[in-house]
Amino acid sequence: MLLRRIRNCFMNIRYFQRNLSAASSPLVPVPLPSRMETHLWYILPNEVKSETLLNQYLELLSPCEKENVCRMRGYQLQKRALLARALVRTTIARYQTKCPVHPRSLKFKKNIYGKPEVEWEDVDDRQLPPLHFNISHTSSLIACGVTVNSPIGIDVEEKQRKLKNNVLAFARRYFSPYEVELLTAISDPEIQRQEFIKLWTLKEAYVKALGRGFSAVPFKTFTIWFRTAMEGEIRLPGLGDSEALDIVVDSFNDHEKLTNNWQFVLLDLAGSHYAAICIEKDRTTGGEGTLPMKFTVRRTIPYVEDECVPGVVAIGGLT
Amino acid sequence: MATISAISATFGASLKPCFKNNKVTGGTSTTLKMVRAGWAKNVFPTLRTSRFNVCCAAKPETVQKVCEIVKKQLALSDETELTPESKFAALGADSLDTVEIVMGLEEEFGISVEEESSQNITTVQEAADLIEKLVQKKP
Repeated sequence: MLLRRIRNCFMNIRYFQRNLSAASSPLVPVPLPSRMETHLWYILPNEVKSETLLNQYLELLSPCEKENVCRMRGYQLQKRALLARALVRTTIARYQTKCPVHPRSLKFKKNIYGKPEVEWEDVDDRQLPPLHFNISHTSSLIACGVTVNSPIGIDVEEKQRKLKNNVLAFARRYFSPYEVELLTAISDPEIQRQEFIKLWTLKEAYVKALGRGFSAVPFKTFTIWFRTAMEGEIRLPGLGDSEALDIVVDSFNDHEKLTNNWQFVLLDLAGSHYAAICIEKDRTTGGEGTLPMKFTVRRTIPYVEDECVPGVVAIGGLT
Repeated sequence: MATISAISATFGASLKPCFKNNKVTGGTSTTLKMVRAGWAKNVFPTLRTSRFNVCCAAKPETVQKVCEIVKKQLALSDETELTPESKFAALGADSLDTVEIVMGLEEEFGISVEEESSQNITTVQEAADLIEKLVQKKP
């Protein structure tokens, strides 16, 4: 039973048997994302039921990661933590097409603010441009976003997520005054809650993309707007408007106009989640124009199946 | 989980003899013997005052309240064992849960938690200690 194995792993590493199942397929390699393209991979924990497969994932983790999995309280949380690490390792390994790398041999470190990164010196293929990645999870979905040459932050939330606190009370406490004003103007409490969740994911994605920790960029100090692309009017995406909306961020402390460097997209994922992606803009194209953000979404069960998900709806952000 | 139960058992076991030896009234025969031996006469008053001085960590009631708020936010069952060392993340809290927990603590204790401080709240004990600090600062 997986739970017993996880308990034992903490005490006796020799318990692990190299028992890779003959029934599973190898990891399918994938070409790198292009500039201004994000690859979003996600796994649905409910689709992973095989104990053999979970044991296979467990063998990919470093001793430290295994300890962290063990520390989670209860089977579901342990499974989630395990799948998150397995997703990150297998996803990054897929892109090492010139010189294949085993997911187990990837090493990770944290930047000075605590944001996880790949430790590339230990990977043989030094010609590959460094990948950036970021993960986020809910109880029913784990996602990993990957870019080349651009810091990335992602956040996923269940569309149906309910706050324990009152939405406006929460927004007044943590969001910027402009965001509070926009939310207050929504009379339907269900739409108000949905718009709140969308704003939350975008704000989280921004802070995670910046990679300086949450206390460096408190939520109150910046505003995220949805704006019509042509006239620049401020709109909320949920109000039945089919016009493409751009997502921009404004910061009160932004003397160098650094907020112009970031681009967002908000997706409807698997019908059940909002997924926000924030990446740094590509300045190398020159001129005032910005490349629109492209994204490719794939649902995966590593070593079993990968499925490119077509037609993912961008609720906001120019693509 | 086996590991966490083992920690709780050790914690409990180390407390009990400590409290027993500090009782002055209705003490065990061992305690009375120590008083009669003479050197304890000065020791006990010192021990009692030093116990108050050492207790600048959070009050048990505060820790208890934090546990209640955390359990409610994360929809944990009443049987779930929370210790002061319990990490929110290990209980399944994501960043939105943690922020809601902090907001719940602010309302319960009438305090205001700075963004910088709230990032450092990762366990029940850390939350309780910060609450005590902020409550004492209140006018």
